[in-house]
Amino acid sequence: MIALGLEGSANKLGVGIISHPSPSKPPLILANLRHTYNSPPGEGFLPKDTAKHHRAWVVRLVKQAIRQAGVKVEDISCICYTKGPGMGAPLQSVAIAARTLALLWGKELIGVNHCIGHIEMGRAITHAPNPIVLYVSGGNTQVIAYSHRRYRIFGEALDLAVGNCLDRFARTLMIPNNPAPGYNIEQLAKKGKHLIDLPYAVKGMDASFSGILAAADILAAQISEDLDDAKRLKAEDGELVTKADLCFSLQETVFAMLVEITERAMAHVGSREVLIVGGVGCNERLQEMMALMAKDRGGSVFATDERFCIDNGIMIAHAGLLAYETGIKMPLENSTCTQRYRTDEVFVAWRDQDTASS
Amino acid sequence: MATVETLYLPHYPSYPIYISLFKNVSNAKFLRQQLLEANAAFEYAFLDGTMILSPRHLHAATFRALNDSVYNRLKSRNIHSELVFSLSPNNNIADAYRRFGIQDSTTSLLAIKIPLSNPEITAESVSKHLGDAVEGESVAFGEEALKGVTDVKALRKGVILGMMALKGT
Amino acid sequence: MSTAPPTIGATTPLPLPSPFTHSPLTLLTQGAEALVFRTTLLNAATPVALKYRPPKPYRHPLLDKRLTRARLLAEARVLVKCAREGVQVPEVVAVGVEEGWVALGWVEGGTVRGVLDGYTPSHPPSHPPGEQKDGQREEVLMGLMGRVGRAVGRMHEVGVCHGDLTTSNLMVRRKEGEKAQEHFETGGGHHTAGLEGLDGEIVLIDFGLATQSIQDEDRAVDLYVLERAFAATHPVAEPLFREVLRAYGESYKGAKVVLRRLEDVRMRGRKRSMLG
Repeated sequence: MIALGLEGSANKLGVGIISHPSPSKPPLILANLRHTYNSPPGEGFLPKDTAKHHRAWVVRLVKQAIRQAGVKVEDISCICYTKGPGMGAPLQSVAIAARTLALLWGKELIGVNHCIGHIEMGRAITHAPNPIVLYVSGGNTQVIAYSHRRYRIFGEALDLAVGNCLDRFARTLMIPNNPAPGYNIEQLAKKGKHLIDLPYAVKGMDASFSGILAAADILAAQISEDLDDAKRLKAEDGELVTKADLCFSLQETVFAMLVEITERAMAHVGSREVLIVGGVGCNERLQEMMALMAKDRGGSVFATDERFCIDNGIMIAHAGLLAYETGIKMPLENSTCTQRYRTDEVFVAWRDQDTASS
Repeated sequence: MATVETLYLPHYPSYPIYISLFKNVSNAKFLRQQLLEANAAFEYAFLDGTMILSPRHLHAATFRALNDSVYNRLKSRNIHSELVFSLSPNNNIADAYRRFGIQDSTTSLLAIKIPLSNPEITAESVSKHLGDAVEGESVAFGEEALKGVTDVKALRKGVILGMMALKGT
Repeated sequence: MSTAPPTIGATTPLPLPSPFTHSPLTLLTQGAEALVFRTTLLNAATPVALKYRPPKPYRHPLLDKRLTRARLLAEARVLVKCAREGVQVPEVVAVGVEEGWVALGWVEGGTVRGVLDGYTPSHPPSHPPGEQKDGQREEVLMGLMGRVGRAVGRMHEVGVCHGDLTTSNLMVRRKEGEKAQEHFETGGGHHTAGLEGLDGEIVLIDFGLATQSIQDEDRAVDLYVLERAFAATHPVAEPLFREVLRAYGESYKGAKVVLRRLEDVRMRGRKRSMLG
């Protein structure tokens, strides 16, 4: 079976086409296209402008994907779209596109939970059978374990998502948003060498990032080049603290928190595998830290590259098709979208009751 | 000759600790004077026995003094003064000596010697020196012997070790 | 630290700080943060629980030191505070602040989890000969639950919230001279729990996530976590937990408000409490 997936819960519009040849064979990626809306440095993307971007691009991207995949419209079994969570206006614009295609071509519709899309795609790509999942992006921070047909949230961010914390700090430092603010922070952090004290806020398996962002913003104001050297923030060795030092310190602190809550979940359920998904999951320092932790516990870490970590249409097609294959149907009148949609609300009909694979 | 108990802390098997308990001591003033004069022959921790709750209490202070000595982070002059200091819940060394150290009026005396790596000091030599120097009745150190000695009201069981352990942190 | 994880129960030399480097210690548990060993410290006859927080290789060394130190001290201070206020907790025997360890007084006895594990499966209704004894057992168990409720209440009253209040972190202290009971061993499915050893005092352990707090929310979450732990341990533990809450409600001024707050927490289906 073949599915077309549409993703547009944030500033990326993704269109993917996937084929599930048979239950015993791995899925085939026929097309995976993306177009990103970038706001200027110092600004975030606003829902209205993002929705406008998605509307402007969706037809072009769908056409291009079908051409690239070399499939005929008749071959497609269902249209999958992101039901939530995400930003209201962009979600709606893509849901409308999905409904239009379904009516136009006479296809079934499947609404997909964005987080489940990330998890299922990560599992398919890495072949990690039953990992603890760390889902980290601009909108979500969750530690997830599968049990009894649900992806259960063991820990999560209590306020900001970690990606949002990084993105907003990039704005504070006026770091460009292209290709992605987090990517630019990561490159800058590689040049940092001083660890500056920031708050560390882990409570059990949950974490909080707003206090850290506030503290980092205050520090950023203290390294401004407009200040006299005498007034600028200095490290313990007397050197001036740089933007790179702050990016480095922020990453070291927030990633340590993420690894810690993941480790706690692993210890709790007795798992030795971790899968990192979501846009922040591209960060190689986070992957490295997670690998060190997993190795310490005699386990391993699974991660994907930016094609799958960053929001994309293929994951929506894949997760939607998994649901479709179990016989799930979504009548047109139910094809809504929602800004809040918890990962554990989804009944995972396509996996076994227990922790076994597939 | 005085009765000397040789203690080895489980994780410090190469550091013997010599402990002697005396009752009805009559020359506390003289002994204290030797400490004040830093008489090298009197390198002991002299404690007022009424302030020691149990062997465990003493052992905990000894552990801390020895461990800090091995890590080279003593806060006072030497391991013997550190032992007295370890007993105290606060960071004031003079106060520790006033509360836990020997007083002129002390009649129940605990003498502790930690030779660290000095092989010349043995249970024998300590026994002989204390037997000559302390005017009092030497008794075997232990739970029973302390029972009649400790001023329980001055101390609070179950809390004291924790407060000692966390002092200065 | 990059070797395979140590085996629980094994007596192996591990990369521990001095003076434990060369002593073979028995590993009891390995949590996410700490390893707990059984050893001795002050004399060869008295065991202690040595809780060691090893450095985390993934953390920046400065951050690692700062965190380990702060957490170790927070835990030890909470324990001393509890002890001072008469809450039954393990005694802090010694700390190695820079080295990341704390030695705690050994609590002889078993966990409430062990008691619950050995509870109902052995008493199917179709077993008349046991009936009278069952009634007596029930009473003793209810007594135990009441003591659990009061112990938790007392801890909350003095301004401490546990943060990880599971049935494994509640111990029943064995009385001196009493023999170890089989049902005290955790983890096994023992079906022959007797009455012996159920009348000991409740001791709260593992304050690694504890906070000094008098917030109703924190207290209610403690109770909710415990409720989930009861439910996860045994499906028919509910009447037992009701007794815990009853005793808790009477244990201090303010407990009733916390019980009302517990209902809110339940309604919310507290996502962060995936205890089991």
